[in-house]
Amino acid sequence: MLKPKHILFPLVMIMLFAFPVVRPPLFFLTLCFSVFMFVGLSESWNLLGGYTGYVSLGHIAFFSTGAYTTAVFMNRFGISPFITAILGGVFSAVLAALVGYPVLRLKGAYFTISSLLLAVVMQLIFMNWDFVGSSTGLWYKLLPVSIEVNRILFYEAMLIVATAITLVVRYVERSKFGAGLVAIREDEDVAKTMGINTPWLKMKAFILGAFLAGVVGGIYGYYMSYVHPEVTFSMNTSLLILLMSFFGGCRSWSGPLLGAVVLSLANQLIVTFIGAEISRILYGLLLVVVIIFMPDGVMQYAKGLFVREKR
Amino acid sequence: MLEGIKVTRRFGGLMALTNLDFTVEQGQIVGLIGPNGSGKTTLFNVITGFYPADSGKIIFKGKEITRCKPYEIARLGIARTFQIVRPLLGLSALDNVTTAVLYGREQIAGMAKGRERAAELLAYVRLDDKKDVPAQRLVAAERKRLELARALALKPEFLLLDEVFSGLNDTEIQDAIKLIFRIRDDLGVTIFLIEHVMKAVMGTCEKIFVIQYGVKLAEGKPEEVSRDPAVIEAYLGKKRTC
Ligand SMILES: Nc1ncnc2c1ncn2[C@@H]1O[C@H](COP(=O)(O)OP(=O)(O)OP(=O)(O)O)[C@@H](O)[C@H]1O
Ligand SMILES: [Mg+2]
Repeated sequence: MLKPKHILFPLVMIMLFAFPVVRPPLFFLTLCFSVFMFVGLSESWNLLGGYTGYVSLGHIAFFSTGAYTTAVFMNRFGISPFITAILGGVFSAVLAALVGYPVLRLKGAYFTISSLLLAVVMQLIFMNWDFVGSSTGLWYKLLPVSIEVNRILFYEAMLIVATAITLVVRYVERSKFGAGLVAIREDEDVAKTMGINTPWLKMKAFILGAFLAGVVGGIYGYYMSYVHPEVTFSMNTSLLILLMSFFGGCRSWSGPLLGAVVLSLANQLIVTFIGAEISRILYGLLLVVVIIFMPDGVMQYAKGLFVREKR
Repeated sequence: MLEGIKVTRRFGGLMALTNLDFTVEQGQIVGLIGPNGSGKTTLFNVITGFYPADSGKIIFKGKEITRCKPYEIARLGIARTFQIVRPLLGLSALDNVTTAVLYGREQIAGMAKGRERAAELLAYVRLDDKKDVPAQRLVAAERKRLELARALALKPEFLLLDEVFSGLNDTEIQDAIKLIFRIRDDLGVTIFLIEHVMKAVMGTCEKIFVIQYGVKLAEGKPEEVSRDPAVIEAYLGKKRTC
């Protein structure tokens, strides 16, 4: 049977793909680009953070690994940015595999703090590592096409990546893998008695999430044409990712999608028209409100209100 | 089928289990009783790999499993329930069991087939009408049956039950006993159960181990054990304490 969503989804996708054709002002193109980027980041974060409940504040470490991989491999070896984006994903995945073993043995706040430390330590390393431009950052050599074409190319690339990530996460959620991850969140010991190899499953989710974030980072870096440790490793981004997933609801793939779209739009508008400081204060407050009053996200919260009214 | 040799487990200075020997033969229903804090749950945690034994050996079907991880032990066919039942509260009864089916020994691939099998298991413990109810909304007796269905979802050969009768009323206990016999007779599962409700143990088990302070006090047929002076003293104490 044909449902509204069967028409709505392709329609929205076609409109988004065709958007650059109307030659929108750069502001709108960048706005959409950052929405896609946050969709990709929140969805990939959700694999571990949402399904298993291992709340990471280190996701930007993987994102930045991707951004830097693209910068270095393009500049030094002249490799196509579409290939380096994948390469960035691979490097992020390797990084996740290396740090995952010790870090994923920790639980709750200990895990969260050590994931934060990963981002902090990496930022320090990149600030002092001359090969990657240390504290002056790195400019990208742009592809030999006009700047407009460049932007459109990477707008489309990010759109594809965000869509692909969302579909991957949705697929995982409905698979045996996803069921196992949720069991870990609900009760890790019980998950073990079900025969679930919990360390390995957490590791898989961590590595897959890192890979996807690395790809997002690779495309982001190119679009911005410049990377700097203070920008790519910004703590703010980590908090935003977490807030978006919690806001939309991190039990389902649709939560981070909703959260990323609503909050990154709101964020861009506030930053542009009011000021970055105010936006940070508002986000802090929002995070507190969401975690206290709607731990399952606004969608579940709204559903709850609706059901209560009907009774 | 399951054998423990000089199993010892400490918690800091506390000897929770000391040189405990036990055997459970295939097809038996064996009971484990003892006063509060005597180490019963600890023994189950040692068998299932949650608290590795400090010394001693555990052998399952001729293979040593002392150092195996909990999930490996589950995959070998040893399922358990928890004394304080632990349903996955955020999930429906069906999803609780489905996950166990998918990861267990059924060799079932695919969500749809997994759900089908899970529904059968829920029907087996007479919980089919609660299939889509979140585990959070089940009452105690239902949660126990859910826990049982989840353990069976593994397709175990050996089942460890930690106080499944506690908190149930008399008719519920009778039902539970019948269910346990059915699990043994229909599914061919060997059962090792911890129990406080004396009547329930006497009626179900063909062999009973009694432990106190982590040391084996007695072992044998229910009627032998219940006449054992050491057991009577452990349970009833000197007149004053009871
Ligand atoms: N994780 C732990 N850390 C420290 N001590 C523990 C731990 N688990 C159990 N113990 C101690 O080991 C002893 C045996 O506990 P256990 O839970 O095995 O008793 P039990 O026979 O199951 O009692 P009950 O009938 O109350 O369930 C107790 O003294 C308990 O306090
Ligand atoms: Mg106990």
